[in-house]
Amino acid sequence: MGWAWLIMLLATYPWLLGADLASDVLARGGFVVFISGVCIVAPCRRLRPIQAIPFAACVGFLFEARRPIPDGVLAFTLVAISIFLTANKPLLRNAPGLLRGAIISNTLACTAWAAATALALSTTEAPSSNSTLTHFALQVALAALIGAALYIPISLVQNYAMDRIGVPPAADTP
Amino acid sequence: MDQNRRGARASYVALTIFLAVWIFMPSTVRRFNREAFTEFQAPGLHLVSKSRDLARFWELKSRSSEEMALAGRDLARVNAALELKLASLDDVRRENTRLREITRYTVPADYMSVVARVATRDSSSWWNRIVIRKGRNDGIRPGAPVIFGNSVVGRVTAVHLTTSEVDLVTSPGFRCTAFLEGDDQNSIVLINGLAGNSLRTPQARISVIPNDYSTGTLQSPKAFTTGMGGVFPSRLVLGTVDLDSKATKPGSSFKEGRLNPSRELYNLQEVSVLVPLHQNPGEALLQGDQFQ
Repeated sequence: MGWAWLIMLLATYPWLLGADLASDVLARGGFVVFISGVCIVAPCRRLRPIQAIPFAACVGFLFEARRPIPDGVLAFTLVAISIFLTANKPLLRNAPGLLRGAIISNTLACTAWAAATALALSTTEAPSSNSTLTHFALQVALAALIGAALYIPISLVQNYAMDRIGVPPAADTP
Repeated sequence: MDQNRRGARASYVALTIFLAVWIFMPSTVRRFNREAFTEFQAPGLHLVSKSRDLARFWELKSRSSEEMALAGRDLARVNAALELKLASLDDVRRENTRLREITRYTVPADYMSVVARVATRDSSSWWNRIVIRKGRNDGIRPGAPVIFGNSVVGRVTAVHLTTSEVDLVTSPGFRCTAFLEGDDQNSIVLINGLAGNSLRTPQARISVIPNDYSTGTLQSPKAFTTGMGGVFPSRLVLGTVDLDSKATKPGSSFKEGRLNPSRELYNLQEVSVLVPLHQNPGEALLQGDQFQ
């Protein structure tokens, strides 16, 4: 099962591509449909840390690849979140816990990339603070909403993929 | 449970060590990593974009022959008008060549035009970008200007094998010089994209406008590229000028304004990339940019 993380990445990629297409639609408003944080929650419940970490890193690098973000910020944030989640599996024991985890994870990851990009930008250009802060707040709120709305469909696909490749189900009382 | 926690502590230590290694790692390794993940996604983007083209093709294919005949008639009229215009431009071209010969004017850098379809658009408060379906394989290089008709769309910032990323005029990373329409002194102003355009049409900032400049009778004066710096050819339209009295600091000898892009940048389906036949200084600078 050493390659479970790669298979999970391939199963998750259509969602990431779909999020890019949705970002295309929202581009006029200046919003990104951010789902990288949601995508790591269901696998962290069932995969071992050694599998969840490369999976989270790859999800982060996929988002960063085509965007002017300082290298590695999102990937390492997602890795840190995945380490926390795999070490605290009781937090993801039931449906409300999982949903809460998805929202918090997506919000944290979104905050990390938005803050890192703003910091990188401020070295060359001082953003007008009011509008940037408003936009920042709206983007993070959107990420939280997306986390809540998309967690169930994404986790259904991921759980199906994990069942097919024989990843053991999560224990009810880990 | 304790085993999980101990494992997590070890993982956090490993993450910190790896993070430190990552920070001090040569930028080539990080760039290779970024490039690898971009190339992994490129086929997906191509597939989606081509599916859209196919859907559009079938939508047009389903039109009735009467509609097509009407469209053909309209096109024939447009063609006739364009042929007349072409003939008049031929005279202008001859006159231009004659004047250049008289003044021994140096011909600006030549460009190779590469037409590319837009694959996706991506924007946030901190960037306004599009991804096009042409890349290194088609001869595109970083720093090349991207236009639509005679309007500037942006500049290529990163080139991959089959895709390229374009920073739009309104992106905070975009900078160029311009002339303003109606300015008899031909003062040079600075254009750069504006961050933080939340839920509004993206705009760029025009700075260093002389205080005595006024739009006069012009409703919406245009800003044109100067051709200096060797990136953009001269006299391309950047957008229309909106003088912003609020943005100007009191007592300052210069005014500021806003630039509204001449095209609806997020509706473009196709753009032209003007690849300079010879490398210019802007490209050399972009090649060292780590946030491509």
